Amino acid sequence: MRRRGRGIACMWYPIGFTVSANPSAATVKVNEDGTATLLTGTVETGQGSLTVLGQIAAEALGIATEDVHVVSADTDATPMDTGAIASRTTYVTGNAVKLAGERARAILFEAAAPMLGVKPEQLEARDRKIQVRGFPQRSVPIGEAARHALVGKGEPPIGTASFNPPTVAMDPETGQGKPFATYVYATQIAEVEVDDETGEVEVLRIVAAHDCGTPINPMLVEGQVEGGIAMGLGFALQEEILFDAAGRQINPNLTNYIMPTSLDMPEIEVDIVPSYDPTGPFGAKGVGEPTSVPTAAAIANAIYDAVGVRMTALPMTAERVLAAIKAKRAADAPRLAAD
Amino acid sequence: MSDRRPVTEQEALRESLRGLETARLPATVPPAQFPIETLVPEVRQQTPAVGQRATRPDARLHGLGQTKYIDDLALPGMLHARIKRAGIAAARIARIDTRAAEAMPGVMAVLTGREIPANSFGPSLQDQPVLADERVRHAGDGVAAVAAVTEEIAAQAVERIVVEYEPLPAVFDPFEAMREDAPRVHPPAGNVYAHKIIRKGDVERALAEADRVFEGRWTTQMVEHVPIEPHAAIAAWDANGRLTVYSTLGRITLGRADIARTLALPVNRVQVVGTIVGGNFGGKNEISQEPVLALLAKKAGRPVKGVFTRGEEFYASTTRHPFFMDYSTGVGRDGRIRARKVRLVLDGGAYCSWSETTLGKACILATGPYKIEHVQVEAFAVYTNKTVAGAMRGFGAPQVCFAYESQMDEIAAALAIDPLEIRLANAFDEGAASPTGQTLESVVVKASLEQAAARFGWREPRS
Repeated sequence: MRRRGRGIACMWYPIGFTVSANPSAATVKVNEDGTATLLTGTVETGQGSLTVLGQIAAEALGIATEDVHVVSADTDATPMDTGAIASRTTYVTGNAVKLAGERARAILFEAAAPMLGVKPEQLEARDRKIQVRGFPQRSVPIGEAARHALVGKGEPPIGTASFNPPTVAMDPETGQGKPFATYVYATQIAEVEVDDETGEVEVLRIVAAHDCGTPINPMLVEGQVEGGIAMGLGFALQEEILFDAAGRQINPNLTNYIMPTSLDMPEIEVDIVPSYDPTGPFGAKGVGEPTSVPTAAAIANAIYDAVGVRMTALPMTAERVLAAIKAKRAADAPRLAAD
Repeated sequence: MSDRRPVTEQEALRESLRGLETARLPATVPPAQFPIETLVPEVRQQTPAVGQRATRPDARLHGLGQTKYIDDLALPGMLHARIKRAGIAAARIARIDTRAAEAMPGVMAVLTGREIPANSFGPSLQDQPVLADERVRHAGDGVAAVAAVTEEIAAQAVERIVVEYEPLPAVFDPFEAMREDAPRVHPPAGNVYAHKIIRKGDVERALAEADRVFEGRWTTQMVEHVPIEPHAAIAAWDANGRLTVYSTLGRITLGRADIARTLALPVNRVQVVGTIVGGNFGGKNEISQEPVLALLAKKAGRPVKGVFTRGEEFYASTTRHPFFMDYSTGVGRDGRIRARKVRLVLDGGAYCSWSETTLGKACILATGPYKIEHVQVEAFAVYTNKTVAGAMRGFGAPQVCFAYESQMDEIAAALAIDPLEIRLANAFDEGAASPTGQTLESVVVKASLEQAAARFGWREPRS
């Protein structure tokens, strides 16, 4: 009989390296027409980080995402970056990009101020214009300001900056300290059906509410959450590297190492939890790794809710779940008889 | 032999393809239309840029199959590399005979570990050889490498390399490995190579005084990242002795430093170009075959490409640490957690890799997002003669979350408290102190619980 259950799990996860320095640097160059080029040493590994970094540069310059071209991942041409690791790109590299954009913008403000007859401090960059704060009708197109800076003043609008998250070393005896600049939080709830005759677990639905600070690009956040849940699902139910007695893997292939495919995926509903971190770029934190953290726990709790067995070892394969169900029946039976 | 004339590259290529149905033919790509006018959805032209569901600039390239992964790249005269894997978990290497491989038509270079200028790497402990030279510590260790005109010839040549091993006692269980008399993976050092502790309050007293104490052990398994694109790289030298490496590395700044160090080159003689990577998930955060390809390329005088087989992705790259987690949690009748004591043992496999980071994050996160006054976490990372465990999405967090959230539900069931409510009662608030004494800001764990519960319909009557 298929029995339905639900399980909840929440988590916290840090952004960036544990105490040790993990800086990023970035360079933003504003072109003569007000478009821009961003140089970053990070690597696009499929998560969409270059899109997010381009959006951050665009926001700092008051231009559109489309106006920024991102050059990445060449040690000869791009600045140092600690890389696509530790859920740090949006927060750490993003902060560097924002600072670099603001430095380029400051050169544009210096160029635009005399054109508008105000001080640079009175200016803001929005909608591809440099405009007087509070008087948006007094503005110059950002391209005009950039051209004036470059060919009029001879000061190219380029900004370079770096960022390293502030931390405090941990005491070796007690572990007390501030190992990370910030953390994110999340909850996932799983609904499952467990076949109590075969032990098979089917995950029907997962609701995921994730905090990432300001979502720079909500679509990419949703993509991360869906991908992370796929990974969490395999960790929970299927995947395991097995060894023979001599320490050699016996299933190093995709035939015998079973991982979820699109057909195994449940309905996923993603919610982004409203949050703003003042230390992040425009309030952003990160989302990459945490998305696969609570999935296995939520499924384990849903299995308990469905059939009353507490799985303590991953993966929770049909064989293991069935063994646990049988053990529970055996344990319950004499008690019933004694009653 | 005397009657042997030099075999041309073309002949070798033809020879290798003869009768091989599995041989890969050059891919044909339909011509693409290149738009003069930029095709962009309107949403991307908006400001403010932050918060927009902006289309990825690479989406169109992915959709049209125009993204260039390493496997799509070829340099003139490029060779293909293959690495010979030990296939034995613990042994001393007595002798490596590469003569038969070197004599094969189409083989242009062969490399062993002794030829590598600085044959060690690792992000915290440099305990891993690029190619094992004296000692094999797990079955996936590379022991030699070949560069040949085709992948097939390279694979055949690797089979003809003869390695004589003197088997050594091996240890596969981390608890066994922790014993004094266990075989040592890196003698003379012991097998526990990282240890961390977090202590706050008085956990023993608080456990003794708690209304209820819950105890349990949770364990997790070794898994692979399984990116669609395996580890891949191309190494090419120019006439000035400058090296360019195209690689799937996720960390090119560190990668460049490691490649320069292992090859004993000044850093400015090395260029690392990160290509668009077909999935990382933590597995591509350190160098692997890059120095091997560089040295093969130098010996052969040609660019060399290496692409891990799917098998190598499993046994020669890093994996997720198996965890053994003992939890003791003291709880009041009201469901409030008073104390939590955790002991973690991480099976690190044969080399340290990112174990210290995994250990550290797991320790800090082990008690969960909960206000707990008395905390003690102690954790050990242990060498075994198994596949290397390293960085993988979550750095130990999915493991400890499985334990702390499973136990949370056990407590809830025992005290007849709803699983959602017991979490809300214990979860961090804004300004809460973490187990390391850090004041937490922008804390929204309760909001995430409420939001997920509302979306799921947790509080609605169950059918």
